[in-house]
Amino acid sequence: MTTGLQRPAGDPIVVDDPGRLTFRVDRRAYTDDDLAAQEMTRIFDRCWLYVGHESEVPGPGCYVARDVGGRPVVMARGSDGVIRVFANSCTHRGALICSQPAGQARSFRCPYHDWTFSNQGELVGVPIPDGYGPGFRKADFGLARHRSDSYRGFVFVTFDPQQPRTLTEYLAGATEYLDLIDDQSEAGMEVIRGAQLHGARANWKLMMENSVDIYHFRALHKRYVGYMESLGSVPPRRRGGFGRALGLGHAANELPPAAARPLAHWTPMFGAEFRPRIEATAARFAERFGAERAERITRTNRALLIFPNLMIIDAIAITIRKIDPAGAGRMAITSVALAPKDEDPDIRELRKSHYLTFLGPAGFATPDDIEIVESCQRGCLNRTVRYSDLSRGMNKEVPETTDELPAREFWRQWDRLMQGDGGRFEVPHRAAGTPAGIPAGTPGAEAR
Amino acid sequence: MTTEPTADEAARVRLWHRVSQFLFTEARLLDEWRLLEWYEEMLTDDIRYSVPATDVRGEPADALGLIDDDAARLRQRIGQLLNGEVWCENPRSRTNRMIGNVEILADRGTHLEVAANVVVHRFGQGRSDAYVGKCRWELVVEGESFRARRRVVVLDHETLYEHGKLSIIL
Repeated sequence: MTTGLQRPAGDPIVVDDPGRLTFRVDRRAYTDDDLAAQEMTRIFDRCWLYVGHESEVPGPGCYVARDVGGRPVVMARGSDGVIRVFANSCTHRGALICSQPAGQARSFRCPYHDWTFSNQGELVGVPIPDGYGPGFRKADFGLARHRSDSYRGFVFVTFDPQQPRTLTEYLAGATEYLDLIDDQSEAGMEVIRGAQLHGARANWKLMMENSVDIYHFRALHKRYVGYMESLGSVPPRRRGGFGRALGLGHAANELPPAAARPLAHWTPMFGAEFRPRIEATAARFAERFGAERAERITRTNRALLIFPNLMIIDAIAITIRKIDPAGAGRMAITSVALAPKDEDPDIRELRKSHYLTFLGPAGFATPDDIEIVESCQRGCLNRTVRYSDLSRGMNKEVPETTDELPAREFWRQWDRLMQGDGGRFEVPHRAAGTPAGIPAGTPGAEAR
Repeated sequence: MTTEPTADEAARVRLWHRVSQFLFTEARLLDEWRLLEWYEEMLTDDIRYSVPATDVRGEPADALGLIDDDAARLRQRIGQLLNGEVWCENPRSRTNRMIGNVEILADRGTHLEVAANVVVHRFGQGRSDAYVGKCRWELVVEGESFRARRRVVVLDHETLYEHGKLSIIL
């Protein structure tokens, strides 16, 4: 379905009315092909986008090839140890210079004409070079290098030469949550081998909304709730915690764990044999960080949305979920597990086991999420029902995690960028005081 | 000219036939959603059912997969599928398992190593998906029949982008 690129004034996609406590999204945002094409230029060509984790390229020459923002890229650690992100495209005629998803190489050779590039991007080999005139310089044909940077091991790239923000500026309040995740190991965190590569026949934004929506947990995931109860961990009906705006479209939910956490929060579902080790870790964290911050690191769940398409969920395990649009009605999903590098092997097995129980295309929860976003996509095709509602919690100073603040923050930034302000518009990131009854963290106000 | 099969060959053919029948019965029970019968009559108490990730072939122990069920979790999975709690399998999808290239890789007396190619067609909620993979069983010999102690399905797909999810038992 196509509505044309220009919407008449007064016909907005996002209807944000704090006075009436209403927040609505026109469902064309999920189904319209022109809007989907515009998102690629106005959002994915402008923002900082997640590429991968430094641990995925641990040594010199290690690389991964993947799509980021609809573009094939290679993230490679050069022989000099520096991580760079290149366009995965030969500067000669365009072929992919790397067709393996991951590996280790001194150089990348284009299979078309054997042009060869070092793992630092220089063109080092051109067969039959006398076919070019004297003005031909290999230095002009190195791989196109994208601007990239990392924060606490998370590597991002931007395709916008005019992107005015450094990565840290772009991440705004999200850095606080990345710190809480990376602080889980002194040895550093690592991505566990084995990615869950799947997708859904639905608009990518439905999955972003789903990933920060805790309201649906007890309804859609009855089977998982039943599983937890069978293991002796009963999740409370009111989950507590709060939703928090982090600036620039980023947001988080922070809440007490419904289940155990393999790092340092034991409940009966993990089995008695693990209790001493997990409690010993909790004690070590308290010593290292002080009781309050240790509690926040080890005994608090969080779901972090980094605009536009990255989710990091730190609960029964840590998952990094990258959600890529493929037109209005399709998306690709890449999920990996993040864990402490120096994790006890038995705890690592426990972590993987519980990760699989909940997460991934065959877990006890994610398949229902996939099916429900596909169901929403189909339902939105009935254009008579024009809007989706995301107003839960607008009536509260501090919205709960069963409210919809993170989705609203996402949509507000989406709307600003789609309106063409290019992300240069400053959104104040306000850190308010900690309201009473919230053990840790400082909820930011909704950016209205 | 025909030659009579040796006693040894005849025994191998009979064993192959019995193994094939076991695999076909298993496929039929799964297709007919007779999951409890399958669980109780065709698997050992220490069954391990796993589906490795599509980007890491084989079964590297250190990698994360898609499914790694012990008996308890497989029993949970079955219970959820049967009682309607699994929203995406309610209504139940229709499935058709095709099994081919059945080979007995090793006969260790008390148990067999068996391999086969499987294609599981799944239809439901407007979708039609095919899961293509290589299945490995460790079958414990039990009289004239068997019980599966290990069941690994290595998918040949590069990703499950088309399928989105894996909500049935392969």
